[in-house]
Amino acid sequence: MSRTIPKRSMQSGVTAQGEPMVWLSGGMFAIACLMIISLLALVLWQGLSTLWPRNYLLYARPDGTLVAGEMYGRTRENGATKLYLRSGNYDVSNQHFLYADEADLASSNPWKPNTLWTVERKEWGNLYGFPKQLSWVDSPSDKLSEEVHAAMKESRSIDQKIAHEKEQLKRIDHAISEARLSIRKVEINEKSDLQGDIDEAVAARFQAAEESPLNWTPSRTISDRAKNAISRFADVSYKADAQMASINEQISQLEAKRAERTVLFELPIADPIGTLELGWDQVLAGKLDSWDAFKELVGPLSTDGETNNNPPTIEVHRISDEQVAWQTLGNGKLPRNFLLRKASPSSCEVFSMREHSVILADIVRFFPPNQLNTFQRLGVYLARWWEFLLGEPREAGIEGGFFPAIWGTVVMTLIMSLAVMPFGVLAALYMREYAKPGPLLSAIRISINNLAGVPSIVYGVFGLSFFCYMVGGYIDGGPAKAGFEPWPSATWFSALGLLAVVGIVAFSVALLAGQMGIHATNRRRWLRNASALLWLATLAGIALLLIKTPHFHGFYQAQLPNPTFGKGCLLWAACTLALLTLPVVIVATEEALAAVPNSLREGSYACGAGQWQTIHRIVLPYARPGIITGFILAMARGAGEVAPMMLVGAIPLATELPLDTEFPFIHGSRSFMHLGFQIYSLGFQSQNSEAAKPMVFTATLLLLTIVTLLNQTAIWLRARLRKRFQSSQF
Amino acid sequence: MNRLKAIADGQPVESVIHEEVLAKDVVLSVKNFNLFYGRKQALHNISMPIAKGMVTALVGPSGCGKSTLLRSVNRMNDLIDSVRIEGDMLLNGESIFSPGVDVIQLRKRMGMVFQKPNPFPMSIFENVVYPLRIDGERDKTVLMQVCEHALRGAALWDEVKDRLHETGLGLSGGQQQRLCIARAIASDPEVLLLDEPCSALDPIATSKIEDLIDKLRGEYSILIVTHNMQQASRISDHTAFMYLGRLVEMAETSTIFTRPQLRETEDYITGRFG
Repeated sequence: MSRTIPKRSMQSGVTAQGEPMVWLSGGMFAIACLMIISLLALVLWQGLSTLWPRNYLLYARPDGTLVAGEMYGRTRENGATKLYLRSGNYDVSNQHFLYADEADLASSNPWKPNTLWTVERKEWGNLYGFPKQLSWVDSPSDKLSEEVHAAMKESRSIDQKIAHEKEQLKRIDHAISEARLSIRKVEINEKSDLQGDIDEAVAARFQAAEESPLNWTPSRTISDRAKNAISRFADVSYKADAQMASINEQISQLEAKRAERTVLFELPIADPIGTLELGWDQVLAGKLDSWDAFKELVGPLSTDGETNNNPPTIEVHRISDEQVAWQTLGNGKLPRNFLLRKASPSSCEVFSMREHSVILADIVRFFPPNQLNTFQRLGVYLARWWEFLLGEPREAGIEGGFFPAIWGTVVMTLIMSLAVMPFGVLAALYMREYAKPGPLLSAIRISINNLAGVPSIVYGVFGLSFFCYMVGGYIDGGPAKAGFEPWPSATWFSALGLLAVVGIVAFSVALLAGQMGIHATNRRRWLRNASALLWLATLAGIALLLIKTPHFHGFYQAQLPNPTFGKGCLLWAACTLALLTLPVVIVATEEALAAVPNSLREGSYACGAGQWQTIHRIVLPYARPGIITGFILAMARGAGEVAPMMLVGAIPLATELPLDTEFPFIHGSRSFMHLGFQIYSLGFQSQNSEAAKPMVFTATLLLLTIVTLLNQTAIWLRARLRKRFQSSQF
Repeated sequence: MNRLKAIADGQPVESVIHEEVLAKDVVLSVKNFNLFYGRKQALHNISMPIAKGMVTALVGPSGCGKSTLLRSVNRMNDLIDSVRIEGDMLLNGESIFSPGVDVIQLRKRMGMVFQKPNPFPMSIFENVVYPLRIDGERDKTVLMQVCEHALRGAALWDEVKDRLHETGLGLSGGQQQRLCIARAIASDPEVLLLDEPCSALDPIATSKIEDLIDKLRGEYSILIVTHNMQQASRISDHTAFMYLGRLVEMAETSTIFTRPQLRETEDYITGRFG
C-alpha cells in the first residue's frame, strides 16, 4: 500500500517560518523595554531635577496683577499651556506653587531681578524676596551675603546650645520617669498603692534645707525597698526641679538672643501706596522730576534716611506695556523696589513690596538665583542633595533631609532578612531533605506558593493583630494584656507535668523510629508518624502553657498602660515583612536544594557521612547561590513594601532613630520612618501635598536606588560564591 | 537457552558456581539474598562469595540487578523507601543486614565509585580527605599523609600535587573519576565497589582507570559492575554472570571467557544474545 506523494516545493509557507510571530513577539518586547525605560526616565528626570535651583521670574497679567515664582516648567491642560511656578512665601501667600496660563502672560516681558534671594528656611518653606535691612548692621556693605553668612554661623552656635539644653531637659525627664518606674515596680510587686507616701516624701524633701539629705520617715510602715525607691524619687524630683528651672531660664534667654537678629525682606507682593503724577515716558526712562512727591509717597529709601535728599539712580525693568519695576540704587545702600502701573497718560499708580522679616537662625541656605552661573547652581544642588541624604527633615518632611527614612528602611530590611533567612532555609530544608514526599507535603507546598500571592495589606493586618497586640501585649503585660485568661496555678502545673511526659514519649518514639533498619517496614512508618504527631502536640502544648501561665506578668508591666512592644514598632514591622517574604525564601531555597545532583548526596553517603553531615557539608554549600538568590528576592520585595508598614510601625515623622549610638543600639520598640511610607504620606497625606509632590519623586528615586544597591550587593555576593562551583566537565 | 527462558518465566534456577571460586579466601559472602522494590522482586536468592584481594566483575544485560546487588553491599538501597530485603551478606564474617548494624559505620568500611564522576564542590584535597573530615579528623599532617597516599594509590598524585587546593570540579572527567577512587580508598576500605566506573569516560581515561584497578588488585578487594565484556576479561579475576535478578554462573574470568559450563553464558559473552 503506497500513498501518493504530493508534488513537493522548494518554498515554505509563511506558517512554517512564522514571520509575523517574529514581528509580534519583537513588538511586545519593544513595548516592555519602552515601559521600563520610560518609568526609569520619568523617575530619574523628576527625581534629579527637583533639587536644581532655577531662575526666579516676575510676570504681569493684562489686568496688572503680578505672577512670580521659581520656574519649575510647563504643563499642558485642556489645550492651554500653564506655567508651573514655585511662588514660595507660604507664610504670606498661603501657597507654595501656582499655575499660570501662559496665554495670559503673553504680553509680559518677565523681570529677572538680580538682587532677589531664594531663602530656605527651617519653617514655612522657601522665601523669595529682596533683602532690605539687616537688624544687626546699620549700613550693610556690598558684601551683604558674606555678612549674613558670618552671622549665620553665630546663630547656629546658639541653636546648638539650645539643642544641648533641651537634651539636658530630656535627660532629667528620663531620670524622673526612671525613678517613678522603680516605685511602680515595687507597687506591682507588693500590690500596694504608694501615691500618698510619694506625695509625703516629695513635700518633705522640698521643705528640707537645700544641702541636707532627705530625712523622711513614712507615716505608715512600708518595706525598705519601697522606702528607698520613694526617697530616690523625692531626691531626683527635688534636684530636677531646681535644674529644670535654670535650664528653662537659659533656654528662654537663648531663644530671645536667637530672635534678636533678623533679616528684613521685600517680598514680590505689591501693596498700593498711592498715585504719582508722572508721564509714562518718564516712568519708562526712570526720570524723576517730582522727587519730593515720590519721597512723600514712599518714605525713606534707606534705613538711615540720609540719602533721601538726593534723588537715587533708578533702574527700570519693563514687565509689560503698563507695568514697570523700579529699583532705587543708593550709594552703597540696599536697593528698594517699587512697581508702577500706568493709570492715565500723565499719572501712574505706585506699589511698594510687602515687607517681611525672617529670624536669621531660621535661615538654612540662601542664594541669589538669577545671578548664579552653572557651577554655582551645581554647588547649591549638591548642598541640597547632601542635606537630603544626611539631614533631618524640615517642615514636616516636605523639605530637608530624608536620613531617618533611609536609615529606617535599611535597618528594617536588614533585620527582616536576618529574621526570614533561618526560618525559610530550615523550613525548605525539612521539606526537601527530610519530609517524605506525599499528598500532605504537596498540599503544604502549594499553600506556601499561594501565600506568596496574598496581598501585602493582609500581612499588615495580621502583623498588627498578632505581633503588635498579641505577642507585643504578652511581652508588655503577660497573658492578661494579650487577651488570654490564665489558668489557676494548680491546673497550670499539672499541665506542665503532662507536657513533660508527652515530650519524653515523643523523644523516645523518635529515637525508636530512627533506630529501625531496613527490615521493618510498616512499623517504622507508623512510628515515624506517631513521633511527628507527638512533637506537634508538644509544641502546641508549649504554646498553650505560655499563653495560659498565671506566673508571668510581662517585662514592661510598670510602663503600662503605655505600650512598649504592644504597638507598631521596628521589631514587629521586620517580623511582619519576614512573614511576607517567607514564601519567597522557601520556594527559592527548595528549588536550590532540588538542583543539587543526587549523585553528590549518594557520594557523600557512600563515604559514610550521615544525613546532617551530607546536608551541611555538601548540599547546603552547593545550594548556597540559589539560597542567596531567594534572599535577594526577599529583600527586594521587603524593602519596597509599604502597605503593611502603615499598620505595623512606620510613622511620618520620628524623633528617634531605630539604630543609634545609645545603648542597646537597636531599639526594636521604636517606631521608625520608612521611605516607601514617606512617599505615600508626603504625596497624599500631608497637609501640603502639592508642595511635597517634587519631593515624592526624589524620594522615589532614592528608594529605587536603595533597593537596587541592596540587590546589587547580594548579587555580587552570589557571584563570588558561584565562582567556587564552576565546573569544567571533561 | 532454556535456562534463561526458565528464569524469564519466573522459575527458580540453580546458579552454577565453580569450585575454584569457592576455594578462595572470602571477604564478602552473599547469603540467599532477595531484594524487593515494593512488590517487585529485583534480586532472587543470590548466594556468591567475593574473594579477598581480587577483582570480581558482575556482568549481565541491563536491568539484571548488578547495580542493585552492588548498592546492597553498602546498603545504599536504604535510601529508597520501598526497598525490603531477605537474606543477608557477611563482611569478613559480620552481618551487614542484622538490625543492630549502624549503616554509617558499615559504609565507612567500604568505598564506592559511581557511574558518573561525582567530585564534591570543594578542593581536591578536601575531596580526598572527606571521609576523614566527617569522622572529625583535624590534624593537618594526618590529613596530608592520607591525601597523598590515596592520590598516589589512585595514580593521580603527579597530576594534581601542585593544585591540591583548587576545586576538584576543574579536573577532566577521567581525573575526576580517579579523584573519586582516591576518595573511596582514603578510608582504607575492606571492599571497593565500582559501579560501571568507565561508562562515562573516553577510551584513554578508561585505560588509565583499568590500569589503576590492576594496580589496586591485591591491596583491595574489588567488586566491579561493567557492561564491557573486554573490560571484564582484562581486569577481573572472577566474573559473575547475572540475568533478570538471578546469578547464572560464576567462575574465574579465564574460565568464563573460554570454557563456561553453561551455553547461555557463552552465548552472552560472545555476544550472540543480550
